[in-house]
Amino acid sequence: MIYRKIAQAALGMAALSFVLVPGTIMAKEAKPKVLKPCLQCHKDNGPNDIRGKLGSVSMKSETIKVETGGAPWLITFDDNTVVNGAEALNKIDDGHEILVAYREEGGAMIADRVDVKPPAQLDPAMLITIDELAPLVEQGPEKGKFTLVDARPGKVYIEGFIPGAISIYDAQFEENLDKLPKNKDDLLVFYCGGPT
Amino acid sequence: MLGYTNIRVFHDGMPAWKKAGKPLFSNAKSLQSNMETETPVVLIDVRDVESAKAAHIKGAVSVPADMLASAKDKFPSNKKAPVIIYGADTEAGMKAFSTVRGWGFKDTTVLMGGIAGWQKAGLPVETGAAASEIVYVPKPKPGALSINDFTLVADHKKGDAVILDVRSDDETDEGTIKGAIAIPAEEVSARLAEIPKDKIIFVHCSTGIRAEMAYLTLKEEGYKAGYLDANIKVAKGGEYTITEKE
Repeated sequence: MIYRKIAQAALGMAALSFVLVPGTIMAKEAKPKVLKPCLQCHKDNGPNDIRGKLGSVSMKSETIKVETGGAPWLITFDDNTVVNGAEALNKIDDGHEILVAYREEGGAMIADRVDVKPPAQLDPAMLITIDELAPLVEQGPEKGKFTLVDARPGKVYIEGFIPGAISIYDAQFEENLDKLPKNKDDLLVFYCGGPT
Repeated sequence: MLGYTNIRVFHDGMPAWKKAGKPLFSNAKSLQSNMETETPVVLIDVRDVESAKAAHIKGAVSVPADMLASAKDKFPSNKKAPVIIYGADTEAGMKAFSTVRGWGFKDTTVLMGGIAGWQKAGLPVETGAAASEIVYVPKPKPGALSINDFTLVADHKKGDAVILDVRSDDETDEGTIKGAIAIPAEEVSARLAEIPKDKIIFVHCSTGIRAEMAYLTLKEEGYKAGYLDANIKVAKGGEYTITEKE
Protein backbone atom coordinates (compact mmCIF):
# COMPACT_ATOMS: atom_id res chain seq x y z
CA MET A 1 0.00 0.00 0.00
CA ILE A 2 1.19 3.46 -0.77
CA TYR A 3 1.39 5.88 2.10
CA ARG A 4 1.83 9.57 1.82
CA LYS A 5 3.05 12.11 4.26
CA ILE A 6 0.69 14.99 4.69
CA ALA A 7 2.26 18.43 4.65
CA GLN A 8 3.05 19.51 8.15
CA ALA A 9 2.62 22.87 9.82
CA ALA A 10 2.46 22.46 13.52
CA LEU A 11 2.75 25.97 14.97
CA GLY A 12 6.07 25.27 16.58
CA MET A 13 4.89 21.95 17.93
CA ALA A 14 6.80 18.74 17.46
CA ALA A 15 6.67 17.63 13.85
CA LEU A 16 3.63 15.61 12.97
CA SER A 17 4.42 12.22 11.61
CA PHE A 18 1.17 10.51 10.76
CA VAL A 19 0.68 9.00 7.33
CA LEU A 20 -2.51 8.65 5.40
CA VAL A 21 -3.66 6.58 2.47
CA PRO A 22 -4.55 8.86 -0.41
CA GLY A 23 -8.28 8.60 -0.81
CA THR A 24 -8.40 9.14 -4.54
CA ILE A 25 -6.39 6.00 -5.27
CA MET A 26 -8.32 3.80 -2.88
CA ALA A 27 -11.75 5.13 -3.82
CA LYS A 28 -14.38 2.64 -4.92
CA GLU A 29 -12.00 -0.18 -5.62
CA ALA A 30 -13.51 -3.50 -6.53
CA LYS A 31 -13.52 -5.78 -3.52
CA PRO A 32 -14.11 -9.52 -3.48
CA LYS A 33 -17.35 -10.77 -1.93
CA VAL A 34 -15.84 -14.08 -0.93
CA LEU A 35 -12.54 -14.61 0.87
CA LYS A 36 -10.37 -16.81 -1.35
CA PRO A 37 -9.80 -19.79 1.00
CA CYS A 38 -13.58 -20.06 1.52
CA LEU A 39 -13.98 -20.88 -2.18
CA GLN A 40 -12.44 -24.30 -1.58
CA CYS A 41 -15.65 -25.51 0.00
CA HIS A 42 -18.19 -22.84 -0.92
CA LYS A 43 -18.41 -22.37 -4.66
CA ASP A 44 -22.10 -21.56 -4.90
CA ASN A 45 -22.32 -18.10 -3.39
CA GLY A 46 -25.34 -15.97 -4.19
CA PRO A 47 -24.98 -12.46 -5.60
CA ASN A 48 -25.95 -11.05 -2.21
CA ASP A 49 -23.67 -13.24 -0.12
CA ILE A 50 -20.55 -11.94 1.58
CA ARG A 51 -18.33 -14.69 2.94
CA GLY A 52 -15.29 -13.74 4.96
CA LYS A 53 -13.82 -13.11 8.37
CA LEU A 54 -15.58 -11.01 10.95
CA GLY A 55 -13.43 -7.93 11.53
CA SER A 56 -15.28 -5.99 14.19
CA VAL A 57 -18.79 -5.47 15.53
CA SER A 58 -20.33 -2.26 16.78
CA MET A 59 -23.54 -2.85 18.67
CA LYS A 60 -23.98 0.91 19.06
CA SER A 61 -23.94 1.71 15.37
CA GLU A 62 -25.34 -1.76 14.46
CA THR A 63 -22.63 -2.39 11.93
CA ILE A 64 -20.23 -5.25 11.29
CA LYS A 65 -16.98 -5.14 9.40
CA VAL A 66 -16.22 -8.19 7.25
CA GLU A 67 -12.82 -8.90 5.69
CA THR A 68 -12.75 -10.62 2.30
CA GLY A 69 -9.23 -9.78 1.19
CA GLY A 70 -9.70 -6.25 -0.19
CA ALA A 71 -11.14 -3.18 1.44
CA PRO A 72 -13.45 -4.40 4.24
CA TRP A 73 -17.25 -4.49 3.89
CA LEU A 74 -19.42 -2.54 6.29
CA ILE A 75 -22.85 -4.09 6.71
CA THR A 76 -25.51 -2.84 9.05
CA PHE A 77 -27.84 -5.08 11.01
CA ASP A 78 -31.04 -4.66 12.99
CA ASP A 79 -33.46 -6.58 15.19
CA ASN A 80 -34.65 -8.57 12.18
CA THR A 81 -31.20 -9.88 11.32
CA VAL A 82 -31.16 -13.64 11.87
CA VAL A 83 -27.97 -14.95 13.50
CA ASN A 84 -27.28 -18.67 13.13
CA GLY A 85 -24.59 -20.37 15.16
CA ALA A 86 -24.01 -17.68 17.80
CA GLU A 87 -26.01 -16.12 20.59
CA ALA A 88 -25.43 -12.63 19.22
CA LEU A 89 -23.14 -10.89 16.77
CA ASN A 90 -20.89 -9.56 19.53
CA LYS A 91 -20.44 -13.12 20.83
CA ILE A 92 -18.59 -14.23 17.69
CA ASP A 93 -14.80 -14.30 17.90
CA ASP A 94 -12.96 -11.74 15.82
CA GLY A 95 -11.60 -13.37 12.71
CA HIS A 96 -14.21 -16.12 12.66
CA GLU A 97 -15.58 -17.08 9.26
CA ILE A 98 -19.11 -15.92 8.61
CA LEU A 99 -21.60 -15.74 5.77
CA VAL A 100 -23.71 -12.60 5.48
CA ALA A 101 -26.79 -12.59 3.27
CA TYR A 102 -27.66 -8.97 2.70
CA ARG A 103 -30.08 -6.73 0.91
CA GLU A 104 -29.47 -3.25 -0.39
CA GLU A 105 -31.63 -0.38 0.68
CA GLY A 106 -30.93 3.18 -0.38
CA GLY A 107 -27.28 2.42 -1.05
CA ALA A 108 -26.75 0.76 2.35
CA MET A 109 -26.10 -2.94 2.89
CA ILE A 110 -28.31 -4.54 5.51
CA ALA A 111 -27.76 -8.06 6.83
CA ASP A 112 -30.78 -10.36 6.57
CA ARG A 113 -28.90 -13.33 7.95
CA VAL A 114 -25.49 -14.06 9.44
CA ASP A 115 -24.30 -17.69 9.59
CA VAL A 116 -21.36 -18.51 11.79
CA LYS A 117 -19.20 -21.33 10.47
CA PRO A 118 -19.61 -24.31 12.80
CA PRO A 119 -16.47 -26.00 14.11
CA ALA A 120 -15.33 -28.95 12.02
CA GLN A 121 -16.58 -32.27 13.36
CA LEU A 122 -13.77 -34.76 13.74
CA ASP A 123 -13.70 -38.32 14.93
CA PRO A 124 -12.29 -38.04 18.49
CA ALA A 125 -10.05 -41.02 17.76
CA MET A 126 -8.25 -38.89 15.18
CA LEU A 127 -7.34 -36.10 17.56
CA ILE A 128 -3.93 -35.65 19.13
CA THR A 129 -3.51 -33.47 22.21
CA ILE A 130 -0.75 -31.00 22.88
CA ASP A 131 0.56 -33.28 25.64
CA GLU A 132 0.92 -36.14 23.15
CA LEU A 133 2.39 -33.95 20.44
CA ALA A 134 4.94 -31.95 22.47
CA PRO A 135 7.19 -34.93 23.40
CA LEU A 136 7.13 -36.10 19.78
CA VAL A 137 8.20 -32.66 18.58
CA GLU A 138 11.00 -32.70 21.08
CA GLN A 139 12.28 -35.98 19.63
CA GLY A 140 12.01 -34.65 16.12
CA PRO A 141 10.31 -36.23 13.09
CA GLU A 142 13.16 -38.60 12.32
CA LYS A 143 13.59 -40.14 15.75
CA GLY A 144 9.89 -39.98 16.53
CA LYS A 145 9.06 -41.48 13.09
CA PHE A 146 6.33 -39.01 12.25
CA THR A 147 5.54 -36.29 9.75
CA LEU A 148 4.05 -33.04 10.98
CA VAL A 149 2.19 -30.97 8.41
CA ASP A 150 1.33 -27.29 8.85
CA ALA A 151 -1.79 -26.83 6.72
CA ARG A 152 -1.89 -23.03 6.94
CA PRO A 153 -0.84 -20.82 4.01
CA GLY A 154 2.92 -20.77 3.40
CA LYS A 155 3.11 -17.08 4.25
CA VAL A 156 1.79 -17.78 7.74
CA TYR A 157 3.92 -20.91 8.16
CA ILE A 158 7.25 -19.16 7.67
CA GLU A 159 6.46 -16.62 10.40
CA GLY A 160 6.22 -19.27 13.09
CA PHE A 161 5.78 -23.03 12.93
CA ILE A 162 6.07 -26.01 15.23
CA PRO A 163 9.67 -27.30 15.07
CA GLY A 164 9.98 -30.05 12.49
CA ALA A 165 6.76 -29.19 10.67
CA ILE A 166 6.65 -29.10 6.90
CA SER A 167 4.38 -26.71 5.05
CA ILE A 168 1.58 -27.99 2.86
CA TYR A 169 -1.16 -25.44 2.49
CA ASP A 170 -4.50 -27.12 2.62
CA ALA A 171 -5.61 -25.43 -0.62
CA GLN A 172 -2.61 -26.85 -2.49
CA PHE A 173 -2.66 -30.26 -0.90
CA GLU A 174 -3.10 -32.34 -4.07
CA GLU A 175 -0.04 -30.79 -5.73
CA ASN A 176 2.17 -31.62 -2.76
CA LEU A 177 1.53 -35.28 -2.12
CA ASP A 178 5.21 -36.03 -2.73
CA LYS A 179 6.04 -34.31 0.56
CA LEU A 180 4.10 -36.91 2.54
CA PRO A 181 5.93 -39.87 4.06
CA LYS A 182 6.54 -42.90 1.84
CA ASN A 183 5.55 -45.33 4.55
CA LYS A 184 1.79 -45.09 4.83
CA ASP A 185 1.76 -46.61 8.31
CA ASP A 186 3.92 -43.84 9.80
CA LEU A 187 2.25 -41.28 11.98
CA LEU A 188 1.03 -38.28 10.03
CA VAL A 189 -0.09 -35.27 12.04
CA PHE A 190 -1.85 -32.17 10.68
CA TYR A 191 -2.38 -28.84 12.35
CA CYS A 192 -3.66 -25.44 11.33
CA GLY A 193 -4.72 -22.15 12.90
CA GLY A 194 -7.05 -23.75 15.42
CA PRO A 195 -10.66 -24.92 15.29
CA THR A 196 -12.71 -22.78 12.91
CA MET B 1 -8.10 -41.74 0.20
CA LEU B 2 -4.36 -41.98 0.01
CA GLY B 3 -4.01 -45.06 2.17
CA TYR B 4 -2.38 -43.53 5.23
CA THR B 5 -3.33 -45.58 8.26
CA ASN B 6 -2.17 -43.38 11.12
CA ILE B 7 -3.47 -39.86 10.61
CA ARG B 8 -4.03 -37.59 13.59
CA VAL B 9 -5.13 -33.98 13.79
CA PHE B 10 -3.83 -31.49 16.32
CA HIS B 11 -7.12 -29.67 16.25
CA ASP B 12 -6.33 -26.93 18.75
CA GLY B 13 -3.51 -26.00 16.41
CA MET B 14 -1.20 -23.05 16.51
CA PRO B 15 -3.14 -20.91 19.03
CA ALA B 16 -2.95 -23.66 21.67
CA TRP B 17 0.69 -24.40 20.92
CA LYS B 18 1.61 -20.74 21.27
CA LYS B 19 -0.42 -20.26 24.41
CA ALA B 20 1.36 -23.17 26.07
CA GLY B 21 4.69 -21.44 25.39
CA LYS B 22 5.99 -24.32 23.28
CA PRO B 23 8.93 -23.66 20.94
CA LEU B 24 8.38 -22.05 17.56
CA PHE B 25 10.65 -21.69 14.59
CA SER B 26 10.62 -19.10 11.87
CA ASN B 27 12.65 -19.35 8.73
CA ALA B 28 14.94 -17.10 6.74
CA LYS B 29 12.26 -16.37 4.15
CA SER B 30 10.10 -14.76 6.79
CA LEU B 31 12.89 -12.54 8.09
CA GLN B 32 13.78 -11.58 4.53
CA SER B 33 10.20 -10.60 3.80
CA ASN B 34 10.07 -8.56 7.03
CA MET B 35 13.09 -6.66 5.80
CA GLU B 36 11.59 -6.04 2.37
CA THR B 37 8.29 -4.80 3.78
CA GLU B 38 10.01 -2.91 6.60
CA THR B 39 7.92 -4.79 9.14
CA PRO B 40 9.39 -4.06 12.54
CA VAL B 41 10.67 -7.06 14.50
CA VAL B 42 12.97 -7.47 17.46
CA LEU B 43 15.91 -9.45 16.11
CA ILE B 44 18.26 -10.78 18.78
CA ASP B 45 21.73 -12.18 18.15
CA VAL B 46 22.54 -14.35 21.17
CA ARG B 47 26.12 -15.17 20.18
CA ASP B 48 29.01 -13.42 21.90
CA VAL B 49 29.76 -9.80 21.02
CA GLU B 50 32.82 -10.67 18.95
CA SER B 51 30.92 -13.10 16.71
CA ALA B 52 28.21 -10.49 16.18
CA LYS B 53 30.88 -7.99 15.28
CA ALA B 54 32.36 -10.32 12.69
CA ALA B 55 29.01 -10.90 10.99
CA HIS B 56 25.40 -10.26 11.99
CA ILE B 57 22.05 -10.01 10.26
CA LYS B 58 20.99 -6.46 9.44
CA GLY B 59 18.90 -4.95 12.21
CA ALA B 60 20.07 -7.43 14.85
CA VAL B 61 20.64 -6.39 18.45
CA SER B 62 23.48 -8.15 20.20
CA VAL B 63 22.42 -9.74 23.49
CA PRO B 64 24.83 -12.57 24.30
CA ALA B 65 23.10 -15.63 25.78
CA ASP B 66 24.79 -15.31 29.16
CA MET B 67 23.56 -11.70 29.44
CA LEU B 68 20.03 -12.39 28.29
CA ALA B 69 18.42 -12.95 31.68
CA SER B 70 19.61 -9.54 32.87
CA ALA B 71 18.56 -7.79 29.65
CA LYS B 72 14.83 -8.06 30.29
CA ASP B 73 14.43 -4.30 30.70
CA LYS B 74 15.87 -3.72 27.26
CA PHE B 75 12.94 -5.51 25.69
CA PRO B 76 9.87 -3.55 24.54
CA SER B 77 6.97 -3.06 26.94
CA ASN B 78 4.67 -4.09 24.10
CA LYS B 79 4.41 -7.86 24.46
CA LYS B 80 2.92 -8.17 20.99
CA ALA B 81 6.31 -7.34 19.51
CA PRO B 82 7.50 -10.23 17.35
CA VAL B 83 10.88 -11.42 18.63
CA ILE B 84 13.20 -13.46 16.43
CA ILE B 85 16.17 -15.07 18.16
CA TYR B 86 19.17 -16.44 16.36
CA GLY B 87 22.37 -18.06 17.47
CA ALA B 88 25.14 -19.84 15.60
CA ASP B 89 22.66 -22.61 14.77
CA THR B 90 19.09 -23.62 15.63
CA GLU B 91 20.00 -25.23 18.93
CA ALA B 92 21.93 -22.20 20.19
CA GLY B 93 18.89 -20.04 19.50
CA MET B 94 16.55 -22.52 21.20
CA LYS B 95 18.34 -22.06 24.52
CA ALA B 96 17.24 -18.44 24.63
CA PHE B 97 13.68 -19.12 23.52
CA SER B 98 12.11 -20.06 26.82
CA THR B 99 13.61 -17.04 28.60
CA VAL B 100 12.13 -14.55 26.15
CA ARG B 101 8.87 -16.46 25.75
CA GLY B 102 8.67 -16.61 29.54
CA TRP B 103 8.60 -12.81 29.64
CA GLY B 104 5.32 -12.95 27.76
CA PHE B 105 6.39 -12.37 24.17
CA LYS B 106 3.90 -14.69 22.50
CA ASP B 107 5.33 -14.16 19.04
CA THR B 108 8.84 -15.28 19.86
CA THR B 109 10.46 -17.57 17.29
CA VAL B 110 13.88 -19.07 16.77
CA LEU B 111 15.41 -18.53 13.37
CA MET B 112 15.77 -22.02 11.97
CA GLY B 113 19.37 -22.75 11.02
CA GLY B 114 20.72 -19.78 12.95
CA ILE B 115 23.12 -17.43 11.25
CA ALA B 116 24.94 -20.43 9.78
CA GLY B 117 21.83 -21.33 7.80
CA TRP B 118 21.30 -17.71 6.84
CA GLN B 119 24.80 -17.45 5.41
CA LYS B 120 24.59 -20.85 3.78
CA ALA B 121 21.56 -19.59 1.88
CA GLY B 122 23.75 -16.80 0.56
CA LEU B 123 21.90 -14.09 2.45
CA PRO B 124 23.76 -10.88 3.33
CA VAL B 125 25.35 -10.10 6.69
CA GLU B 126 26.83 -6.94 8.08
CA THR B 127 30.11 -6.48 9.88
CA GLY B 128 31.05 -4.16 12.72
CA ALA B 129 29.47 -3.86 16.15
CA ALA B 130 25.78 -4.81 16.19
CA ALA B 131 23.28 -2.52 17.92
CA SER B 132 23.04 -2.95 21.68
CA GLU B 133 19.68 -1.22 22.25
CA ILE B 134 16.33 -2.60 21.15
CA VAL B 135 14.15 -0.16 19.25
CA TYR B 136 10.68 -1.37 18.44
CA VAL B 137 8.03 0.85 16.91
CA PRO B 138 5.01 -1.11 15.68
CA LYS B 139 3.65 -0.29 12.28
CA PRO B 140 0.37 1.57 12.72
CA LYS B 141 -2.78 0.07 11.24
CA PRO B 142 -3.76 1.85 8.02
CA GLY B 143 -5.49 5.05 8.98
CA ALA B 144 -4.71 4.86 12.69
CA LEU B 145 -3.55 8.20 14.09
CA SER B 146 -1.06 8.71 16.83
CA ILE B 147 -2.60 10.09 20.02
CA ASN B 148 -0.25 13.04 19.72
CA ASP B 149 -1.43 13.95 16.23
CA PHE B 150 -5.05 13.64 17.26
CA THR B 151 -4.49 15.84 20.30
CA LEU B 152 -2.85 18.59 18.26
CA VAL B 153 -5.90 18.83 16.04
CA ALA B 154 -8.41 18.44 18.87
CA ASP B 155 -6.73 21.29 20.75
CA HIS B 156 -6.76 23.47 17.63
CA LYS B 157 -3.01 23.66 17.48
CA LYS B 158 -3.08 22.49 13.92
CA GLY B 159 -5.65 23.74 11.45
CA ASP B 160 -5.83 21.53 8.39
CA ALA B 161 -7.93 18.78 9.94
CA VAL B 162 -11.35 18.61 11.56
CA ILE B 163 -12.62 16.20 14.17
CA LEU B 164 -15.55 13.96 13.30
CA ASP B 165 -17.27 12.41 16.32
CA VAL B 166 -19.17 9.28 15.19
CA ARG B 167 -20.68 8.29 18.54
CA SER B 168 -24.45 8.05 18.89
CA ASP B 169 -26.58 11.12 19.55
CA ASP B 170 -27.09 9.97 23.14
CA GLU B 171 -23.36 9.96 23.68
CA THR B 172 -22.56 13.22 21.91
CA ASP B 173 -25.33 14.99 23.85
CA GLU B 174 -23.09 14.48 26.88
CA GLY B 175 -20.37 16.59 25.30
CA THR B 176 -18.17 16.81 22.22
CA ILE B 177 -14.69 18.13 21.52
CA LYS B 178 -14.85 21.83 20.64
CA GLY B 179 -15.36 22.27 16.90
CA ALA B 180 -16.13 18.61 16.25
CA ILE B 181 -18.72 17.55 13.69
CA ALA B 182 -21.04 14.95 15.22
CA ILE B 183 -22.52 12.31 12.93
CA PRO B 184 -23.27 8.78 14.20
CA ALA B 185 -21.15 6.16 12.41
CA GLU B 186 -24.11 4.48 10.71
CA GLU B 187 -25.24 7.81 9.22
CA VAL B 188 -21.88 8.92 7.82
CA SER B 189 -22.44 7.58 4.29
CA ALA B 190 -25.81 9.33 4.04
CA ARG B 191 -24.56 12.63 5.45
CA LEU B 192 -21.34 13.18 3.53
CA ALA B 193 -22.51 16.67 2.51
CA GLU B 194 -21.85 17.77 6.11
CA ILE B 195 -18.22 16.67 5.97
CA PRO B 196 -15.80 19.04 4.25
CA LYS B 197 -13.87 17.42 1.44
CA ASP B 198 -11.01 19.91 1.50
CA LYS B 199 -10.04 19.07 5.08
CA ILE B 200 -8.38 16.03 6.58
CA ILE B 201 -10.95 14.22 8.71
CA PHE B 202 -9.86 12.87 12.12
CA VAL B 203 -12.51 10.40 13.27
CA HIS B 204 -13.09 9.30 16.86
CA CYS B 205 -15.75 7.35 18.75
CA SER B 206 -15.24 5.87 22.21
CA THR B 207 -13.04 2.83 21.54
CA GLY B 208 -11.94 3.08 17.89
CA ILE B 209 -14.29 0.46 16.48
CA ARG B 210 -16.91 2.77 15.02
CA ALA B 211 -14.25 5.34 14.16
CA GLU B 212 -12.48 2.78 12.00
CA MET B 213 -15.73 1.89 10.24
CA ALA B 214 -16.43 5.55 9.51
CA TYR B 215 -12.84 6.00 8.39
CA LEU B 216 -13.28 3.15 5.90
CA THR B 217 -16.43 4.75 4.54
CA LEU B 218 -14.71 8.12 4.16
CA LYS B 219 -11.71 6.53 2.50
CA GLU B 220 -13.92 4.83 -0.08
CA GLU B 221 -15.59 8.16 -0.74
CA GLY B 222 -12.24 9.74 -1.51
CA TYR B 223 -11.70 11.65 1.71
CA LYS B 224 -8.36 12.11 3.38
CA ALA B 225 -8.97 10.70 6.83
CA GLY B 226 -7.50 8.99 9.84
CA TYR B 227 -9.02 7.62 13.02
CA LEU B 228 -8.21 7.43 16.69
CA ASP B 229 -7.59 3.80 17.61
CA ALA B 230 -7.79 4.40 21.36
CA ASN B 231 -10.28 4.83 24.18
CA ILE B 232 -11.56 8.36 24.57
CA LYS B 233 -14.00 9.95 27.00
CA VAL B 234 -15.43 13.39 26.38
CA ALA B 235 -16.85 15.45 29.22
CA LYS B 236 -19.59 18.05 29.09
CA GLY B 237 -17.30 21.02 28.48
CA GLY B 238 -15.45 19.24 25.69
CA GLU B 239 -12.47 18.18 27.79
CA TYR B 240 -11.37 14.73 26.84
CA THR B 241 -9.12 11.99 28.11
CA ILE B 242 -7.50 9.43 25.84
CA THR B 243 -6.18 6.11 27.09
CA GLU B 244 -4.30 3.70 24.92
CA LYS B 245 -5.92 0.37 24.18
CA GLU B 246 -4.30 -2.57 25.88
